[in-house]
Amino acid sequence: MASSAEPVMPGPETPVPTGQDAPLLLRLLGSPTRRRILYALLASIVLFAIGQAVRPGFASPSGIRAVLTIASFVGLVAAGQTFVILIGGIDLSVPWVLNGASILMVTSSLGSNARAIPALLLTLGMGTLVGMLNGAGIVLLGVPAVVMTLAMNGIMEGLTLGFSGGMTCAACGSYAPPVVQAAVHDSLFGIPTALLLWLVVIVLVSVVLSMTTFGRRTYAIGNSPRASFLAGVDVTTCTIGLYALSGLFSALAGIVLVGYGGQAALGMGDPYLFQSIAAVVIGGASILGGRGNYIGSAAGAISLVTLVSVLMAMNMPEYGRSIIYGVIILVLLLLYGREDAER
Amino acid sequence: MAELDGVQAEPAIEGRGLSRSYGGVHALNDASMSAVAGEVHALVGENGAGKSTLIKILGGRTRADTGTVSVGGREVKFAGPDAAHRLGVWTVFQELTLLPWMSVAENLMIGREPRSRLGLIDRRGMERRAEDTLAALGAEHIDPLALVEDIPLSQRQTVEIVRAISYEPDILFLDEPTSSLVEREVVWLFGQIRRLRDRGTALVFTSHRWNEIRDIADRITVFRSGRNVGTFKELPEDDAVTLMTGRRLEALYPQRPPPPPAVPALALKSYNARGVRDVSLELRKGEILGLGGLAGHGHRELFFSLFGAEKMIAGTVEVGGKAVRIRNPREAMRHGIALVPEDRKTEGLLLAMSVRDNATLAVLRRLARFSILRHVRERQLAQGLIDRLRVRTPGLSNPVGALSGGNQQKVLLGRWLLAEPNIFLLYDVTRGVDVATKHEIYELIMRLAKEGRAIMLYSSDAEELAHLSHRVLVMREGRIAAELSGAELDAEIIVSAAVRDRIAT
Repeated sequence: MASSAEPVMPGPETPVPTGQDAPLLLRLLGSPTRRRILYALLASIVLFAIGQAVRPGFASPSGIRAVLTIASFVGLVAAGQTFVILIGGIDLSVPWVLNGASILMVTSSLGSNARAIPALLLTLGMGTLVGMLNGAGIVLLGVPAVVMTLAMNGIMEGLTLGFSGGMTCAACGSYAPPVVQAAVHDSLFGIPTALLLWLVVIVLVSVVLSMTTFGRRTYAIGNSPRASFLAGVDVTTCTIGLYALSGLFSALAGIVLVGYGGQAALGMGDPYLFQSIAAVVIGGASILGGRGNYIGSAAGAISLVTLVSVLMAMNMPEYGRSIIYGVIILVLLLLYGREDAER
Repeated sequence: MAELDGVQAEPAIEGRGLSRSYGGVHALNDASMSAVAGEVHALVGENGAGKSTLIKILGGRTRADTGTVSVGGREVKFAGPDAAHRLGVWTVFQELTLLPWMSVAENLMIGREPRSRLGLIDRRGMERRAEDTLAALGAEHIDPLALVEDIPLSQRQTVEIVRAISYEPDILFLDEPTSSLVEREVVWLFGQIRRLRDRGTALVFTSHRWNEIRDIADRITVFRSGRNVGTFKELPEDDAVTLMTGRRLEALYPQRPPPPPAVPALALKSYNARGVRDVSLELRKGEILGLGGLAGHGHRELFFSLFGAEKMIAGTVEVGGKAVRIRNPREAMRHGIALVPEDRKTEGLLLAMSVRDNATLAVLRRLARFSILRHVRERQLAQGLIDRLRVRTPGLSNPVGALSGGNQQKVLLGRWLLAEPNIFLLYDVTRGVDVATKHEIYELIMRLAKEGRAIMLYSSDAEELAHLSHRVLVMREGRIAAELSGAELDAEIIVSAAVRDRIAT
């Protein structure tokens, strides 16, 4: 709408087209956000077909389950990233919040089931707190989000390395409590718990964004912090809350990952920064804020992980994967940017 | 009404059969218009009648869906404003296009900066050229070295105009050039317009101020609902309003309710804020208190600090007889205060969000149960408001930015009506709004006053203040310089009180 600041009202005698009159297909594809969700899902289907052709069994139920499970890790981080990108922010502290959380989980639980619950709460609390600090720095001190969260990533890296002595010591039990590992690996009605957890998160986040006052205020701030403030929106609290959510989801992803792999490792959070942001953008959210939703980010995460898996199935060497991966993201963003400019 | 049958001279620029729609809404529907060299041609019409869209198409900023544009008798297809510039067609658009963090000189000389021998920008030379340009065009009061974001809106608009006319255009479009200018600059602009006309430029401008149109237009084209409905040499205002709205309008200003008894809603004592000095005033329930004076003399700061959006420095504020401290807009709202700010596009509305989202933003809490929004209730509330204020919108879910200025302003006012405040701070709420909507807003203000709500009204239009207010306080340099009531409620008296030198009084 940006290009059409010209008031465009028809006169009283002109029939006014309403959304309801448009053909169904057009209505479904009406908003660019919705169109992109569809693109992302279609891309995943095509990629599964390619994967199946390259390596039979790729698109089998167990193959799909495996891809989706991995996508759920990206998806969890992308949930937090969606929240902050919706207000035009970004969370670059994801890698070491996630990594710190996974190491805090194993070191505080010492691999024992008895300590699993307190360790879980401690870890989630740590993620939330770090996120709150991010938000406070941004909204109270006026530090740009990129700078604040990047600095926080460095601080978390330092803290994690310092406290864990450079490596997680095998002697003090660098394994997640068996009950957490079992929980992640378990499945209910044939669906892995990690996936179920993601489904719950998808529903919850979508409800929060589309049906609550908090969600509405989030979009409002993303559209104009100034106008929102002047309409009585508590921009400060809201911003801190959103970054806290991002920290919480990074920590949650760290816990699920350490449950999935059994062990924490240094550097395990690194891939999730780029992937979480890419998932949000592929899913149709505007990087400038104000537009997008979590269903889109989830679809983005699925198509992204499917792509990586197909490339691996094709035995593409690591460096080739990186290049293709990067090129595809660039092309997508270029196309989306064009689409925006034409509106 | 002397309607012209044909145009004698060859048009310098002509649009024929132009149509353009945005998302299924026709902004322009088979409109035609031409301008000849050496004339000043006014486009008039309500907000949303299609004037700005027409100017954008003729100025090369957007393309028409159908129809043709010709310059000097030859058909052209502009790829962008640059292409139009090459044919001598320049436009001053309604939204400012200056780069705020660059200096006036850089903005004026953009794309034609003098170069040094090394091919780098010659800063000194550029600044000198900018200064010369400003001086040559009679705008030497503007500092070429100042950053655009540091100069007032009216000066920015002046720079915008200087930039366009410094190219000595053959065809110049000015889309509401005077809406953000102060009196003196309007006089300056009209001098420039006459000069350009006399040297053969075709000038097209839009305005909602009829006295300006009468002063300077050689011809007037009236637009309604995306179409030109007539071109005239002379057109009395009443006839123009009938043509623009398609109906006759009763008196523009409705009868104001009798002055209310002295029950204070808001009282300030020795109130100080940035740009506001020692203001003491009392606003009564059911009273319309006008604030007059030149822009930049503290009105904005007074309103924003009262609403908690800026810091108050000293003094006391009493709401309904109780001393209060307001630190942010939420607290102001809790005390029943609403502020409709100056710039609805950046400070009021969320342009990309829906009419519904914008209408209910200030009352979300009331619409929620356990923070979950009650959608049906919200829809009903928004729909009721849209019906009551007669907002013309295709639907509740359309982005508010797609509505015309007048309808946008109604949505913004409506947001605060829903909040049911007792005190309304209205800052120039009719700026850039067409006459029919103005009338509706005036009626709304009167209704609110009759309900016993207190209204503090700032307006850049002294006529409006004189007709609406029970009392007018004139502000000068952050202080209250005069209080006018009864027979003194007159536009001329308000203006002279605003500019009178302090020593002379």
